[in-house]
Amino acid sequence: MPLIEMKNISKIYDNGVVANDHVNFSVEKGEIHALVGENGAGKSTLMKILYGIEQPTEGQILINGKEVSFRSSLDAIDEKIGMVHQNFMLIPSFSVADNIVLGNEPLQTNKLIDKKRSVEITEELSKTYGLNVIPEAIVDSINVGMRQRVEIIKMLYREAEILIMDEPTAVLTPQETQDLFNAIHKLVEQGKTVIFITHKLREVKEISDRVTVMRLGKMIGTVDTKDVTREQIANMMVGREVFLDITKPKINRGQKRMTVKDLTYVSETGTPVLRGVNFNLYSGEVLGIAGVEGNGQTELVEVITGLKSATGGEVLVHEKNILNRTPREIRMMKVAHIPEDRLTNGVAVNASIEENLIVDRYFKKPLNKGLLMDYKEVNKHSDALIKQFSIKTPDGKLPVSSLSGGNMQKVVVARELSSDPYVLIASQPTRGIDVGATEYIREQLVKYRTDGVAVLLVSADLSEVMSLSDRIVTLYEGKITGVFPDASKATEEELGLYMLGLKEQTAEEMEKVL
Amino acid sequence: MTLDFVLRGIFSTFFLASVIRICTPIIFPSMGGLVAAAAGVSNMALEGIMLWGAFTGVFVSAYTGNVWLAVLAGCLAGILVALLLAVAHLQFGSDRFLAGLAVNLFSSGGTVFLMYSLIGEKGNTSTLASLSVPNVVIPFIHDIPVLGPILSGHPVFTYIAFFSVWVIYILMYRTRLGVHMRAVGENPAAATTLGINVHRVQYIALAISGFFAALGGMSLSMAYLQMFQREMAAGRGWIGIAAVNLGALRPIPTLIAAMVFGFADALANQLGSLNIPSQLVQSIPYATTVIGLAVYSIQQRRVAIERQKKYASAHYEEAASEAE
Amino acid sequence: MKKFFDSKNVRSFLRIVLALTIGLTFGFVITLIVSDEPMVAYKAFLFGPLSQLNRIGDWLEESLTLIFLGLAITIVFSAKQFYIGLEGQMILSALATGAVAIYMPAPPIIRVPLAFLAGMVVAVLWALIPALLKAYLGASELVTSLMFNTMALRLFEFLLRTYLQLPNANGIMSERVPEDARLRTFIPNLPFLEETRNAWSKATNVSWMVYVAIGAVLLAYILLYKTKFGYEIRAVGANAKFAKYGGINVKRTIVASILVSGVFSALAGSHLVLAITERIVQGMAFGFGFEGINISILSGNNPLGVPIASLFYGYLRAGSDVMERASDVSRELVFVVQAAVLLLLTAERLLPVVQQVVTTDEEEAAQLEKGSVK
Repeated sequence: MPLIEMKNISKIYDNGVVANDHVNFSVEKGEIHALVGENGAGKSTLMKILYGIEQPTEGQILINGKEVSFRSSLDAIDEKIGMVHQNFMLIPSFSVADNIVLGNEPLQTNKLIDKKRSVEITEELSKTYGLNVIPEAIVDSINVGMRQRVEIIKMLYREAEILIMDEPTAVLTPQETQDLFNAIHKLVEQGKTVIFITHKLREVKEISDRVTVMRLGKMIGTVDTKDVTREQIANMMVGREVFLDITKPKINRGQKRMTVKDLTYVSETGTPVLRGVNFNLYSGEVLGIAGVEGNGQTELVEVITGLKSATGGEVLVHEKNILNRTPREIRMMKVAHIPEDRLTNGVAVNASIEENLIVDRYFKKPLNKGLLMDYKEVNKHSDALIKQFSIKTPDGKLPVSSLSGGNMQKVVVARELSSDPYVLIASQPTRGIDVGATEYIREQLVKYRTDGVAVLLVSADLSEVMSLSDRIVTLYEGKITGVFPDASKATEEELGLYMLGLKEQTAEEMEKVL
Repeated sequence: MTLDFVLRGIFSTFFLASVIRICTPIIFPSMGGLVAAAAGVSNMALEGIMLWGAFTGVFVSAYTGNVWLAVLAGCLAGILVALLLAVAHLQFGSDRFLAGLAVNLFSSGGTVFLMYSLIGEKGNTSTLASLSVPNVVIPFIHDIPVLGPILSGHPVFTYIAFFSVWVIYILMYRTRLGVHMRAVGENPAAATTLGINVHRVQYIALAISGFFAALGGMSLSMAYLQMFQREMAAGRGWIGIAAVNLGALRPIPTLIAAMVFGFADALANQLGSLNIPSQLVQSIPYATTVIGLAVYSIQQRRVAIERQKKYASAHYEEAASEAE
Repeated sequence: MKKFFDSKNVRSFLRIVLALTIGLTFGFVITLIVSDEPMVAYKAFLFGPLSQLNRIGDWLEESLTLIFLGLAITIVFSAKQFYIGLEGQMILSALATGAVAIYMPAPPIIRVPLAFLAGMVVAVLWALIPALLKAYLGASELVTSLMFNTMALRLFEFLLRTYLQLPNANGIMSERVPEDARLRTFIPNLPFLEETRNAWSKATNVSWMVYVAIGAVLLAYILLYKTKFGYEIRAVGANAKFAKYGGINVKRTIVASILVSGVFSALAGSHLVLAITERIVQGMAFGFGFEGINISILSGNNPLGVPIASLFYGYLRAGSDVMERASDVSRELVFVVQAAVLLLLTAERLLPVVQQVVTTDEEEAAQLEKGSVK
């Protein structure tokens, strides 16, 4: 009998998004089971349900044949399930030992916390499972690898028998990854079971016994790792998805509009996120950046659009470097930006639709005449855009919060496209919105591209990238790994390999077609 | 009065002893504020709670003749008012700042109102025979030259104030409750996943902050003076908040910040005998706060930028070697 | 019927009415407890201001000051800045205005406007440091503005005592503002209004600041809702990240919003010294410290609502004055009532209404990680 059985699990969110679609998933005791899929595949959601953070809309969970229901993660912990999250749940100013015993601290007879005992417990667990940590070190100052081990020991302190690890190697160096694998083997030797969420196929092959692939909320299949190749797994992950057939007029590529040279960016926590990115963008084309999220796409866009300062390199538009300039200056150079997170950057939800539509042009005529703004013009302007972009709302004066996700995005798209851009950066433009809006926005992107705008498309949805782009580059761990000058000739499998770092073109190959 | 005279005065036993005493009503709200801030619910009503503590202590001592009962009553009043704030914010979602402001308004108005209703006075309770706490004279120590009067002979509140720093230290770092408070303040999500009841912890933190703020108030009305005066907190509650700001949520730095302000306050009194106008000198503590905040912010920025630079160069080497 | 209650504006309005009613009832209960003649007291409170012309005058005068303060806060709150240095600005403006009005050797036609101008300059300068510290260093404007308030009071006292003190006066005050600089009554000098005009001039100090106040309300409204500057302020207040993304210079907007509000605080100070107290006197701004915030909350942070909210609170303040003189209840009761109303209005979950006027500053939340004030 499997240790864990998740039967017919479905999870549908309030906004209609189907994160899990009748998923059947089982795990045997003592195995290392990899759970793979692209972003949005539903694997994180499935595990959150198993750990009690989310409740399934439908389906059951059985542990050792017994049906259980988790109202919170405490219930899951009671069933000896532990989760090591991708975003560590640690208290930065506390020590390693303090974090491990938090919530259940050992006490001295005088009811004060027994610090010595906390350290002892930490050392014991560390030794037993071969997880090297320094008990007195402050979490803020230790490296990511150790932080992860702290999270693991935290769960072991609570006697977890099943450990769920969410993208554990995403932030580790190769050496740290090796250490982690050794630790996982030791855990299994001691009788634990490990579920390992990842999209790194090399690791799947190296460490797992079985692998389950999910895609778009559905379960694709479970296979024994030794029976499949990485290429086969990639194929199952990325799949053959023809979402919507966009008929693109033939490309009429013009001159270079943007040159990105040696772009580097180191984050404030010290991680090198962009490691020398190079590409050119031409008028009349859509250049798609394909890659699994977390490989630097977000930062690439932020740096180009002035939301963050780069740490090296150049981005030339009209022969001028736009790096480290203000968003206003960059917009003045006709670089428009559809941001990946519309709620954070793209709109002000409590402000009206019409006011959201003018944030980049409120000071220009005819909206602003001398001292005063002309709200009649603002009205006209927004009514026109609402009509032009089919934004479903009875009144432009209503707050943006009254719109559905798709229509909110249309507001963003309407504003950015109507600014008559020279270059358009579109980041995850159809994420989290309904089919109708998605179709519409994609059509608009193609339309503007055909009219001569240079479009940079960043999207985690590979089929979107493939159908919209004329050229595709793959981004992996902060570097461009491949250039595909004819998107129609690229295949999902091949792109998948480049996106997942399994293949890489040489600099000379790429130069020719960049 | 010459500068020389004043300088000698500053380095005198008398002055240093007065510094210790003057710090007392600043240390209390600072410590209270620290606990609340550490739990993520910084208390904006410290000023008002100090007033209620001062007020309650005076009136209960006058009506019961028992100074310790009065202190107890004052502390209770502080806790209750803090809980009012807690309920408004945690239960009913009131903005912490606005609710604090409301409580402050309630306190400054309410104390004068009650004073008038009870004894017909609006300025102070000098007509009331309220009590003050005894001074503590430590035998032997008191007779040590120079140091003696600095360490001994203070009202009991002063000793409680410094003792409370230690108590808060133990609370925050050695008890489960305190550790949970700090965890909740830093990462409530993480705390929740480990079974800690965030709201419960925050209620307790606010109650504790009310307790200490009330003690601060009583150290004014039952030691510094022996009566209640309208608005007698005179901004010390806000200085307490500033001290917490500068103290990076740790007891000792917060104590130091509080003492810096206290020192400035005492200095202001001392310099009053010079020709420098008293009002300008009285501004010293407040100006110090502003400068302190500015310096602190600049420092923070610098640290963050350096960290980025440090890792940038380190990783360049790592990345470069990896690429090979 | 249910649909009627679903409307956001109706709910907002009902909630305000409910809060006010509960607050006033609470005040009444307290009066019952502490007073020997509660009915007399509360009647005086509720109807006092209307009973005599001079009391109506008091009511209007108080309300005018509140209008200016309310407008000042409305502007900074629209940018989500918790700047509360109004009291300091007000008192220093009063001093500057008064000093110019008393001592500048120039005909009133020049002196009076200059006096107002002096007040504004002082108020704006006083706000400069807290504004810059917040915008460029992220230092809590709440704490710095409070510190500056206290320093302002000290500075005011110092300047008053040292340079402006009227010798042989029984109190800390300056000379009286000369006749030609004092503000005339607001009723125009028209023949058929002569009787009214005389009555009002004799009994009250309600001056043509009434018109200035109306103008200020309109100015604030137009500024916030019809100019690009106002757009920037509200965008930063709505979502600072969005404003930055859209190209707005967030830092500059923060500073500007705080400085502009100083102009309105200055008007409150000028009003105090030229129309109400008619001299610079210690404690002249007592009790106005946080009134601006009360007004702003009550008016939903909308300039057009400020006059009504000010008249209401002004009425309460005047009423409490009458009550104190007519009974054994002290005027501080009004603050207790105000506090209750404020608590009720901001308790979001008590009366579930969509509108959130002021929310915790996101930047303050970001400073959370550095361990500063939360």
